[in-house]
Amino acid sequence: MALRRIVKELKDLQRDPPTSCSAGPVSSNDMFHWQATIMGPSDSPYSGGVFLVTIHFPPDYPFKPPKVAFKTKVFHPNINSNGNICLDILKDQWSPALTISKVLLSICSLLTDPNPDDPLVPEIAHMCKADRTRYESTARGWTHKYAMG
Amino acid sequence: MAEILLYVQAALTDEAACADAHAAALATLCDTLALTDPDVLLGIVDVAYFAARLPGFLAAAAPGAVDQGDLPVFAARAIAEAVDILPQWAPTFAQHGAVEALRDRLLAADNIELAEECLRALDKISEECPDQCLRLAVAAAALHLFDFLSASKQKVALKIVAELVQECDDADVPKAMEAAPALCNLLQSADNSILESALSCLGMLAADARGKAEHMDRLCESKVIDTAMGLLDKDGWKTLGDDTLPGILGLLKHIASASEKAVNSLFDLGVCDLLKQMITYYSRSHSGSDKLEMLVEFIYQLMRPLGASGQENATTEQNAHIDQLASIVTLITQVAKCGALSSVCYRCIVVIGNIVELSTPTFLVELQKTANLSSFLTCLLARKNRHIVFQTLEVSKTLLKKHHQFFFESFTKEGVKHAIETIQAQEKNRNSSQKLKKKNNTQEWCLCFELDLDSSSTDGCKIENNAILNLAEEIKKSFVVVKANNKSPHRFGCVLKFVKDFFARLNRHALTVPTQDLDLCKELSDISRKFLSDELPSTSTFTFAKSGSTKYLVDYLSNGAYLKSNLNNCQDLAEQLKEVQHRLQKFTHLALKVSNGSSVKPLEILVDKLLDALHMSYDSFPVILSDHGQRTRESTMIPLRHSTTQESELLDIKFVKARREKELRSYGGVLPVSLSSKPGDIEAVLWPEVSKGNAQGSSRLMFSYKGTKLQPSATIFESLVRLMNAGQSDIMIDSSFWDEEHRISYNRNKCENVSSPSSCNTQLFAMQEKLEQSLVKDPFFSTLFHGRLPGDVDESDPSYNLLLTLKVLEGLNRFSYQLSMDQQICKFAEGYLRSLDDLKVTISPIPQHQFMSSLLTNKLEMQMQEGLFEDGLVPSWCVYLVETCPFLLSFSARWKYFCLTVHRSFMGDEASAPDGSSTPDEASASPDEEEESDAPNEASKKMKKHKVTRDNILESAASMMIKHGSSTKTIEVVFQGEVGTGRGPTFEFYSTVSHELQRLGIGMWRGDNARKAGENGFVRSGFGLFPQPWSSVGTSTRGIELSDVVKKFKLLGHVVARALLDGRILDIPLSKAFYKIMLGQELDIYDIPSFDPELGKTVMEFQALVKRKKFLEKSSEKTSNPSADLSYKNVRLEDLCLDFTLPGNSEYELVPGGSDKMVTLDNLEEYVNLIVDATLKGGIAKQVEAFKSAVNEVFALKTLRLFDEEEMERILCGEQDSWASSKLEDHIEFEHGYDASSPPIKSFLEILREFEREDQRAFLQFTTGAPQLPLGGLASLDPKLTVVRKQCDGNVDNELPSVNTCRHFIKLPPYSSKEIMKAKLKYALAEGLGSFHLS
Repeated sequence: MALRRIVKELKDLQRDPPTSCSAGPVSSNDMFHWQATIMGPSDSPYSGGVFLVTIHFPPDYPFKPPKVAFKTKVFHPNINSNGNICLDILKDQWSPALTISKVLLSICSLLTDPNPDDPLVPEIAHMCKADRTRYESTARGWTHKYAMG
Repeated sequence: MAEILLYVQAALTDEAACADAHAAALATLCDTLALTDPDVLLGIVDVAYFAARLPGFLAAAAPGAVDQGDLPVFAARAIAEAVDILPQWAPTFAQHGAVEALRDRLLAADNIELAEECLRALDKISEECPDQCLRLAVAAAALHLFDFLSASKQKVALKIVAELVQECDDADVPKAMEAAPALCNLLQSADNSILESALSCLGMLAADARGKAEHMDRLCESKVIDTAMGLLDKDGWKTLGDDTLPGILGLLKHIASASEKAVNSLFDLGVCDLLKQMITYYSRSHSGSDKLEMLVEFIYQLMRPLGASGQENATTEQNAHIDQLASIVTLITQVAKCGALSSVCYRCIVVIGNIVELSTPTFLVELQKTANLSSFLTCLLARKNRHIVFQTLEVSKTLLKKHHQFFFESFTKEGVKHAIETIQAQEKNRNSSQKLKKKNNTQEWCLCFELDLDSSSTDGCKIENNAILNLAEEIKKSFVVVKANNKSPHRFGCVLKFVKDFFARLNRHALTVPTQDLDLCKELSDISRKFLSDELPSTSTFTFAKSGSTKYLVDYLSNGAYLKSNLNNCQDLAEQLKEVQHRLQKFTHLALKVSNGSSVKPLEILVDKLLDALHMSYDSFPVILSDHGQRTRESTMIPLRHSTTQESELLDIKFVKARREKELRSYGGVLPVSLSSKPGDIEAVLWPEVSKGNAQGSSRLMFSYKGTKLQPSATIFESLVRLMNAGQSDIMIDSSFWDEEHRISYNRNKCENVSSPSSCNTQLFAMQEKLEQSLVKDPFFSTLFHGRLPGDVDESDPSYNLLLTLKVLEGLNRFSYQLSMDQQICKFAEGYLRSLDDLKVTISPIPQHQFMSSLLTNKLEMQMQEGLFEDGLVPSWCVYLVETCPFLLSFSARWKYFCLTVHRSFMGDEASAPDGSSTPDEASASPDEEEESDAPNEASKKMKKHKVTRDNILESAASMMIKHGSSTKTIEVVFQGEVGTGRGPTFEFYSTVSHELQRLGIGMWRGDNARKAGENGFVRSGFGLFPQPWSSVGTSTRGIELSDVVKKFKLLGHVVARALLDGRILDIPLSKAFYKIMLGQELDIYDIPSFDPELGKTVMEFQALVKRKKFLEKSSEKTSNPSADLSYKNVRLEDLCLDFTLPGNSEYELVPGGSDKMVTLDNLEEYVNLIVDATLKGGIAKQVEAFKSAVNEVFALKTLRLFDEEEMERILCGEQDSWASSKLEDHIEFEHGYDASSPPIKSFLEILREFEREDQRAFLQFTTGAPQLPLGGLASLDPKLTVVRKQCDGNVDNELPSVNTCRHFIKLPPYSSKEIMKAKLKYALAEGLGSFHLS
């Protein structure tokens, strides 16, 4: 079941690709392991960056959420050094009605609108709240350094 | 021989001889005495001579005389030897001044060796002539130089004192008192046996001095009170030995009873606080009723001096004491209500009577407000015990005398007035019926002298036949007077009317057909809300019980009409069930909703009232104690499961044919009947002997004792005892009972009563089975649908309705999540809920322990202390409560019950053999062999050793279980090639096996197929392990054979059963749902979220969608808008691209060819049902069956049903937790304004340590998202649990803690106190828990 669904999502992505991201399996013999790229949203300090994201589908997908993590380093209150993302739809708000495409879009909007009130990295969250300019310039710096290679 | 003695005599007579010569002669004498046969000595020794001579040698030398050398030592030894061999010589020695001489020597204290010899001599002499020794103040002398004596001589010294004090009469008390200071010093001894002996001496001394204030004051001067209180203080009483505490209390009691001074200093030393702590502690433990009895008695004695001085000129000091004591009243009323025996209750009411007597009216008014005395009195007035009733009436009278107006009102409200009127009527009846019968065959145990220190009192009972009637009438007269004066309408009347009205209305509804009338429904729901939230808290227990509430409530909830109407098809039943479910949901919602501002849920109040009302049914649960097995069990001990009673007690019963019986032959023989035999067992034996024809049928004989029919559900023994002791509320079996031969008559049972209701029930049951919702198959729903408790019960008993209501409420509480979720789904189906995201349960159940009744727990504990309990002295109410209403009994009481009774359900060969021949080698062992065989041999009888290999532990375990699995003995494990034995390796074995059974890749558990191998190779399931479904088609997946999986479940079953029996602990986090399976409960869709939240949530959403579709289809006939919006969260179901395979296992096809069948809106219902079935039933049936049958090979699995799933986990996995240890701070990190030394963190850690298991689970759920920690506990949590400071504006104490479950963060506001922090945490946990299933 999971495989069928993953194949369907891949087809949908190819037929109707989202504007700011793309995704697909790493190799053709393992459909459960994908890689995606996310373009940094233009109205955010991540603009211009290309971020690599790994996606692992669990065997009981779509009943369980996929495991999604950034491979590219990101300076963001809700993304930690391992690339783990704190996003409710990847945890308890997951639903089979969601798809990888929707997840990637949510991640894009998280890049635009960080949620410092529920942080994964409290230091960044603090900076984000107290000194927005400094946060943005650091994030731009990181994007430049890690996401434009 | 005779010559030697003559020589010695001659040598001793020679005055001129030097001391050495005398000493030599005495040495010879000693040897002779020690070596010669007593009978020979008796003939040849001139006792009078030696008795006259020896003390002289003992006497201390005059100052300046030559040194006596060893002479006194030998003299003392000679006396000691002499009286040791022939105690009858002691008086002769005593007459000739030996005692004085020995005493003086002791006091002179010039030589320890000499002192010890003196003690030896005095030991015997004091035994023989205590009076003389006492008069000569030996007691004090014996304790002289105590510290220098050897340990054995210290014992001798104390023995002498004990001997003397025991025999002491009034005249000798002052002399005996001289020993008191030395004894008091000994109370500080570190040696427990010395402490206890000294205590008992002091206790006896105090008892001797009873009633003589001057002696007592003297005792007090020796600091005895300070020392004794010092022992108790600062929780010292918790560490004292079993005999020490009674010793201290006994001592203080005696002192307090006689000396006002003593009482004053006790109060100054804070005795009240101490008593409060102790009473609270022992009443919580449920098994310390003997201690409670002593404590109450002590309070009684404390008050004697207070009362004696007369109330008129009570000093301010005394008033202060009374005030202090009064603060204990609430505690005492609880003890009285819940005490397992009447004697406890009697003591309490007497004490309360005394306090009331000494208090001022204003004070009593205050007391009524805090302790609700009136309600307490009503409760006791319902007792059968005449002594208690009489005393209670006395207290009522006093209260009325002190403040008539106030107490008259509160008596009316709380039902005292009603109770007194009832008693008056009963007593009148009793008197008239007694005149007819003339004989009062059963006399109640007299309690009048329970509290007298002088136990020798032989006066008759103080309560005469008419005493209660007269008193009741006297009180009633005073009521009338007030009535005339006071005509203002009582608020009470309104409440009663409202409550009555409410329940009457409920009842009317209960009798009507399910109604569509929405207005009526709304009205009912409004009035219910008003009742539950506004009126109930202020309703008195009496009003509540009186209004018929209990009956009506159950009738309403179970839709009372329904039993009366004839249901003959499933359609009707389904309709009825729907209505019942509807009512349950409504009620649950109201009862569990916290209403405007109050922190208590209405259900909690309701349950409290019911439990309080249950206290009045004290007499329905009589404790039966045998005379000769007097409380043989240590009260606190968890008993061993293998009882080794040598011979079980048998009763001789003569069975005679009833006089008019013609169809049967007469038997007339005597049968030995075991305590656990029921009439049915006897029938099996007797029937072949007495039957003439061959009539069929189950109950063919009817037995009766003195004209009363014996209940088939009770043992013959119990029925006999209860009939013989009908007048008593606690039954103490006379020793004569066992010797007598009892006559029971039998006759043909005419009415073959396979009664009609039961056939109706089976019909109902069958219909219930057919319903698709497995929820309703739970016993709770059966009870509810049948509207009665299961089993053979007396429905006229006052406790019946209370038990029934409690059972219904308990079930409702337990199923609140299911009921509420179902309600939400229905709301969605009917369009009241817009979005699937609103499918949330907002109520949470009340804690299970709130249903526990202290009274019944105490009673069961008391009954289990009876030594004959294992033999079958188990009253039927015990069995009934444990099986039907286990929630009323505390967990530890049920655990004890399980241990004591499990041996009856053993499946092993050894157990199934008849009792006598079970272990022939044991029975034939000759007594002297038994003597020799000490500990190791004794142990081997109860123990079996088994060798296992570490390399292949699962196979070793399996072979061990095959070999010893069903043994009645405890099994210990030895590892091959290792020397260690005993608990250590055995515990290691069990935990290793339980770890091995959690390995990834063995196909046992859900989550096994996770693609990413878990940390360390074990299945990680934060919600507990639950069996992985296996398709019935395929037998192997990914190289795992189903048969291997089944084998492993079988092993798990064996291991679980063995661990339960042998008290081992497993380290395996089974899910609650799996425990439910173990306990024989049915699982349904609402259980899935408890072990797989994501799947559960989605399946329930699908279910809601299915219902919505059905609803729309039904109504579409009227409105033409089919399938308006039936998308799943705005996605067409087809687009989810689901096929008919099990989520997570594409090889498991739910239907043949399922991997090609896609899920659509039309087959969604089928899909949901198939998933639920595969997950909970079909897919795991083989595994579950293997597990269950493995347990059943050891003992009957159903005996575990007296526990719930949480308790099972406590039993199997133990209480220990990785985080309860002091290492807590090592595994928690503190950041952002906190470190390990910040005050809020210190409080936080303390709170965590104080948390109960359930709180811990809730806390983990709250902070990490899963109620269980991974293997290895907090230490292996990744990321680590972190506490950070929450920034707050405004008042910190209004904030709540919050969490981030991604990071395992808890944001904790720096509260101003630990109490506030605890309250806020608990609140957050409870709120978090409510949404647990859907988080």
